[in-house]
Amino acid sequence: MTTLIKLEILRALRNRRYLIFSVIYPAVLYTIMVSAYSGATSLGGVSIKAYFMVSMATLGVVGASLTTNATRISLERKSGWARQLRLTALPGYGYVAAKIASTAATTLPAILATFAVGYSEGVRLSGSEWLLLGGTLWLGGFVFAALGVALGYSAAPDAVQPIVMIVYMMMLMLGGTWFQFGGTLLKFAKWTPVSLYNQLGRVAQTGGSVSMGELAAILGYAVVFVALAAFLYQRDRKEA
Amino acid sequence: MRTSAGQQTGADRRGPGSGEVAAFRNVSKHFGQVKAVNDISLTLHPGETVAFLGPNGAGKSTSIDMLLGLREPTSGSVTLFGGTPRQAIVDGRVGVMLQSGGLMPDVKVRELVQFACSVHPRGYDVDEVLKTAGITEIADRMVDKLSGGQEQRVRFALATAGDSDLIVLDEPTTGMDVTARQAFWAVMKAQADAGRTVLFATHYLEEADSIADRVLVVHRGRLIADGTAAEIKARAGLRKVSFDVHPEDNADLAQLRNLPALTSLDISGHTVRINSDDADATVAAIYRAGFYPRGLEVTGVGLEQAFITITGEQDAADESASLAKENAR
Repeated sequence: MTTLIKLEILRALRNRRYLIFSVIYPAVLYTIMVSAYSGATSLGGVSIKAYFMVSMATLGVVGASLTTNATRISLERKSGWARQLRLTALPGYGYVAAKIASTAATTLPAILATFAVGYSEGVRLSGSEWLLLGGTLWLGGFVFAALGVALGYSAAPDAVQPIVMIVYMMMLMLGGTWFQFGGTLLKFAKWTPVSLYNQLGRVAQTGGSVSMGELAAILGYAVVFVALAAFLYQRDRKEA
Repeated sequence: MRTSAGQQTGADRRGPGSGEVAAFRNVSKHFGQVKAVNDISLTLHPGETVAFLGPNGAGKSTSIDMLLGLREPTSGSVTLFGGTPRQAIVDGRVGVMLQSGGLMPDVKVRELVQFACSVHPRGYDVDEVLKTAGITEIADRMVDKLSGGQEQRVRFALATAGDSDLIVLDEPTTGMDVTARQAFWAVMKAQADAGRTVLFATHYLEEADSIADRVLVVHRGRLIADGTAAEIKARAGLRKVSFDVHPEDNADLAQLRNLPALTSLDISGHTVRINSDDADATVAAIYRAGFYPRGLEVTGVGLEQAFITITGEQDAADESASLAKENAR
């Protein structure tokens, strides 16, 4: 089991696409967003630089969770590697558990890279605030890792790629990653997964308190995604 | 049962309760209306090397999936070492090389084989496994950069990474050239000689003929023959008769069509090739008809011809059975 986790982490870190899309891309995007919004001083109640540090970190984490899980799982189901693993003494859940564990390891560099750029841009937090923010973002990533697993079992590789892109882009847009919606759309958008995830990060950043409703909603998403992943995983095993 | 990581001898493997490696009891698998596997019963015994033959779509892969617990039978039961297939796999008693066994990309060959060794309850040393599979030289290569034949050998290494009692190989030599295939079977033979039970599916009949000590033939979801290669060839009852006719004999080759027991006749130039149900009668009739055959040879047919014959017989029997059914209405 630990050998499989180690292998999964190793191959994720070796993958150039991962490095570009999950680590470099959010960091570069951060500097672009900050300069694009250079006229404004604050967004959603925090400074521009702080706002985008959180939303670019979540972009990286969600991207890493969705692509490393969804794309790989669907590819490995097709190639037969997932089947081959079922013929080892590894417990049945081992494959998915290793995938989620490796996601958790690969999202950390994405978070740290954005933090580093944020710091260089002048974002200052106390040591405990950095830790709290990093921890919150890291833990929140598991929700999207579960969604990634569910998507990986939802369809064949050629269909999964566009599904992942659409889900990813929709969630980012509604989640306030690029800009904040106003009016009635905001009322709806603020309950979408990435928006809640960003909100959680911002609360950790500013030391405010998260509302019970928001906390319940994000836990609700976690439960739904895990249940969906478990259901699709079982369906896949029956089909052999 | 815990044993040392060393190679066991055949005698050691035959402990109490190991009288049957695998058993299918009236196993059927239906996919909607299609009966992929239809009432198969069979037992595999320790130390046997068994070939599983059948045309594409005969039910080989479905049977292997059920043997390994990847699919549940619609009816009947499958046991491996007296328990469920899953239990046998968890206990490390089965090593498997699947036809469609994809490999994990972005890792080195050694890393992947190391993983297989460590996950097996009685895994071998990784260097030993690499050496046996003949992939020591490519151990540091990335898995995604291998040729088809090299990939097969990596799969083989995964199947033999630990001390398993049964090795299942689904079309193991697909994509290998002749030399690679011979090398592969030499290694496989060593596995069998170590007392392991080997089950392999193949469509290379000469592999079944030369390696297996038991051949199972499946056709349209049913087990239609089970015996040694020699028995199956004998069951087909066919013999090949061939000879040359000298041009000066002025023989009327058309007369050959009237020979008894003929199942096929092929005349090319002055060479005559005949398949016969009763070679003795055919040969006697050749002389009686006034032919003077030169270089007469009577040989048994290969497993391939036997295979075609018995599957053809099965098709004919099925057809007349369904006709009889129609007529009875």
